Amino acid sequence: MAMFLISEAVFFFLLILAFAYFGSMPRRIAPVGWFFAALLLLSGLSMWRAAAGSRLWRCITIALGIAFLIYQAILIGNTFLIGNTFFILAGIHGLHILGGLIALAIGPASALRPTALYWYFFVLVWLAIVLVIYFRSAA
Amino acid sequence: MTWLLALDHKRVGILYMLSALLFFFAGGMEAMVMRAQLAAPNLKLISPEIYNQMFTMHGTTMIFLVAMPVLTGFGVYLVPLMIGANQTALPRLGAACFWLQLVGGVLLYSSFATGAAPSAGWFSYAPLSEKPFSPGAGVDFWAFALLLIAASSIGSAINLIVTIATERAPGMIMRLVPLFVWMTFVASIMIVFALPALGASLVLLLSDRLLVAHFFDPSQGGAPLLWQHYFWIFGHPEVYIVVLPAFGMISEIIPVFSRKPIFGYPFVATSTVAIAFLSYGVWVHHMFAVALGRNFLAVFAAASMLIAVPTGMKIFSWIATMWGGAIRFTTAMMFAVAFLLEFTVGGLSGVAFATVPVDWRLTDTYFVVAHIHYVLFGGTVFALLAAVHYWFPKMSGRMMDERLGRWSFWLIVLGFNTAVFVLHFLGLIGMPRRVYTYPNLPWFGPLNLISTIGAAILVFGILLFCCNVAMSFFFGVEAGDDPWNAWTLEWAAASPPALQNFTQVPQVRSRRPLWDLKHPEAPDWMVS
Repeated sequence: MAMFLISEAVFFFLLILAFAYFGSMPRRIAPVGWFFAALLLLSGLSMWRAAAGSRLWRCITIALGIAFLIYQAILIGNTFLIGNTFFILAGIHGLHILGGLIALAIGPASALRPTALYWYFFVLVWLAIVLVIYFRSAA
Repeated sequence: MTWLLALDHKRVGILYMLSALLFFFAGGMEAMVMRAQLAAPNLKLISPEIYNQMFTMHGTTMIFLVAMPVLTGFGVYLVPLMIGANQTALPRLGAACFWLQLVGGVLLYSSFATGAAPSAGWFSYAPLSEKPFSPGAGVDFWAFALLLIAASSIGSAINLIVTIATERAPGMIMRLVPLFVWMTFVASIMIVFALPALGASLVLLLSDRLLVAHFFDPSQGGAPLLWQHYFWIFGHPEVYIVVLPAFGMISEIIPVFSRKPIFGYPFVATSTVAIAFLSYGVWVHHMFAVALGRNFLAVFAAASMLIAVPTGMKIFSWIATMWGGAIRFTTAMMFAVAFLLEFTVGGLSGVAFATVPVDWRLTDTYFVVAHIHYVLFGGTVFALLAAVHYWFPKMSGRMMDERLGRWSFWLIVLGFNTAVFVLHFLGLIGMPRRVYTYPNLPWFGPLNLISTIGAAILVFGILLFCCNVAMSFFFGVEAGDDPWNAWTLEWAAASPPALQNFTQVPQVRSRRPLWDLKHPEAPDWMVS
């Protein structure tokens, strides 16, 4: 899983670089964007508890993930309508979140540790995207 | 049927090799179509559009559907045997990656059915590969197929890395693993770091073509240079990904047929790591013709020349291994020695290209074509031919015919050098590559004709080699477990190995565990 995440890290690094370079990012982050970024961060925390074996925290993580995914779908629809290509980056990230949710929902207990690693990684990727947008708009 | 669901690393490895052979025939035919078209000035056998499709498909096929899968196949087959394991660490991932790879290949070739196979070259430079200039579906097929193949390569590389990291026999520390395993390990790590760059460039290209993005479209604020940077960040490490395992094969074969342990094992292993690091810092040498500024060029030219140092170290290690050895010239050894010569020619023209003014003069001429064929055919393919002759007895339980082997060796050497060496001269006198025909300028006609004749001889050589493989498989002499009197662990298993490779793994206390077993009076671990 660690090796896989290394290759994903290279992939997203180059994608974010290209999007930032061409200014294909939203100009600012709406308050609701911060809210859902925080929500995803919380899901990282709940995943930490879920990885310890708690079913309840596993369900909470899934719920937080689904909430984030719905927000992301709306975001993608909006950016698509205004012709901003940011929806491509958000969409690729969303597909990975969806993959993580599926693994979390139906994966066996033995898959929990690598799934958690995967989840932390994609929480961090979204944080990186949000921070890049924030610092670009601040600059 | 048992092959379709096979998880055993030996079967998956052989499936990889067979699919690579199939695509090798396809890529070879594309090359022959091009050579026929170029046989004489102003020929019009095929249209320029078809010619563009031929060189694009030839390059893409040979890199992604032949070189990478066949090396993965050898890695998946040999690595567990060489480290004394019974299976790869992630057998289901390994099998799934093979089928993903095959689907990618079939997808790429199904583009012919749309009537518009990809025709923007194997590196599909933007904006040529963009919608306005490549309106057909070809580039979309190309990009989707390569996405699948990139994912499959990353998966199989992870399988090999985890296998080497976790499945080694007791006592086999990393300083004792065979060099083929070392080089496969390094090449796999390079795949994990390099192939995502290809994935990212393909995603951006597909967004441009199918969605509303303009990453490579300068009229909308995009930058075509971005494609070149991203593609070559993948593309140059890729060269070493397909050549390092070949180095590993040579490092196994030369010592066995020289009856001496490899000269300077630590140098061969660490120079591989050096190549891996350097290869990420040289991608701009594919882009010297782009106006990037002097200091930029100087840095990348120096880095590109630097990479010749660790590569040269290996060549000297191999020569020093042969020096004073009791050399047995089997077909495998002959191909290995030919590899040294051919690859050195390719390496030297590579150093020539690292010199910026030379590159400016020769870029996009046939000199480039000559260079890459000396590296990838003279290097990788010659090493692979040596490897097939060396490991065929292990895989099939039968020896290959030496007399046929010698004939195919000389035909291949003669054909390859005739076909490709003259391309150096064509490049020097200014013949541009990727143009479907040429006017009747002095020397252009005769040199091209020589090259086409050489290519035809090469085809005969390859066909003879294939006949040898097929006939030896059915009628070859029984090989026994260790026909070459070799030293690494795969020769301790049966030929062909049973489903469970080893019932008992020999104790590993040196780099040559079988030598220790055969010579209890003077084992390696006593000497060193």
